[in-house]
Amino acid sequence: MNEHRHSRSKPRRHGRVALAGVFAASVGLLTTAGVYAGLSGVATGSEAVTSGTLNLTLSPDVGAGFASFTGKMAPGDTNNVYVDLNNTGTLASAAGMTLWVAGTPANALTNGAAAGEGLTVTATQCSVAWTLATGACSGTTTPILATRQISTMNTAGTAVALSNVPALAAATGQVAHVQVSLGLVASETSVNGVLPSPTVQGLSTTLAYTFTEQQRVGTATNQ
Amino acid sequence: MTHCRGQRFMGRIAVSTAIVLFGALALPAGATGAAGKANASVDGSESVTSGTWGAKATASVLTFTTNVAQTSTVANTGTVALSAVGYTVTISNPASGSPSFTIFACATAWSGGKCSGGTGTKVGTTYAKNTTTPVTSTVVPAVGGSVYLQATPSGVTSSVSMTLVTTITSAGQLRARVVTNQ
Repeated sequence: MNEHRHSRSKPRRHGRVALAGVFAASVGLLTTAGVYAGLSGVATGSEAVTSGTLNLTLSPDVGAGFASFTGKMAPGDTNNVYVDLNNTGTLASAAGMTLWVAGTPANALTNGAAAGEGLTVTATQCSVAWTLATGACSGTTTPILATRQISTMNTAGTAVALSNVPALAAATGQVAHVQVSLGLVASETSVNGVLPSPTVQGLSTTLAYTFTEQQRVGTATNQ
Repeated sequence: MTHCRGQRFMGRIAVSTAIVLFGALALPAGATGAAGKANASVDGSESVTSGTWGAKATASVLTFTTNVAQTSTVANTGTVALSAVGYTVTISNPASGSPSFTIFACATAWSGGKCSGGTGTKVGTTYAKNTTTPVTSTVVPAVGGSVYLQATPSGVTSSVSMTLVTTITSAGQLRARVVTNQ
């Protein structure tokens, strides 16, 4: 019987201690909360905001667009490709655009290994779609890139600024009809069937044209 | 045991603090990005292969001891059609005599000294001894094809040689430029 009473008293003591701990913790928390509650103030306002998009697409204007040039290119040859550059985002682009052309693999066609030789690129914009059969523009042409060696613009760091690109600099939805002309410059003499070294002859590469536009200047609105 | 639980708890706080701090540090980076300007790029690609140009004579040195004509075949070793072939003709200085030579080109093989029954097309002028003369010929081999030269001597009294160096120079000796719209 005594043993039974003794065994009951221990849990009760533990319970009191636990209760006291909970009480003390509650007091502490309430005090703290009270202090913070006394120092905080909340005011809310709301405004809706939507970010714009800057998007540029590339598609064939007439013909196949960028594709494989199957012929064996010789100096003086020109391979014209007709593409549309379309500002399909919701933001206008800044006046200007850059272009760089990387060759894979890089070789004398694109890296300047043969001084003064290699592939060149020229870009011209037409106010209307180009005529594929003749390569003519029935509207107004605007040169946007004078003939330039690819070896001077074969990295993102050496991208060249295109000039006179008003259609692309304007509002969204504008389309630029661009003729990209690829040429080969070479002045080489083969002797008794032996090619010179270095040479631009007998090489292949895949050219990646990267057009980049930048968003219009940021605007500040007071309302 | 309690001590161990306490350590774990402190560890969780540390981790949580690190996450919060990381988030706080990451926010300004996002804000910086928002203040920058956006770019949009688009790529297009095309493959290109350059041709080769060259020609080679099967017999580049012809040695004459009598006044008998000899032939050499010139093949187009490149992949680009030609509009002309350059030759540099060198005549040695023989021990005796004053020989001279003429060269005729034919689109077909010489037969009995005739080019399809004719004389062929003269290449350059008359070549005297101890001279080097660059000339061009518009009788050109097609890609994968050949043209045929016949060198005719006169006045040979001792051994004399004719050396033919064949050259193709771009773009003047290549086919007309080609413009492709695709």
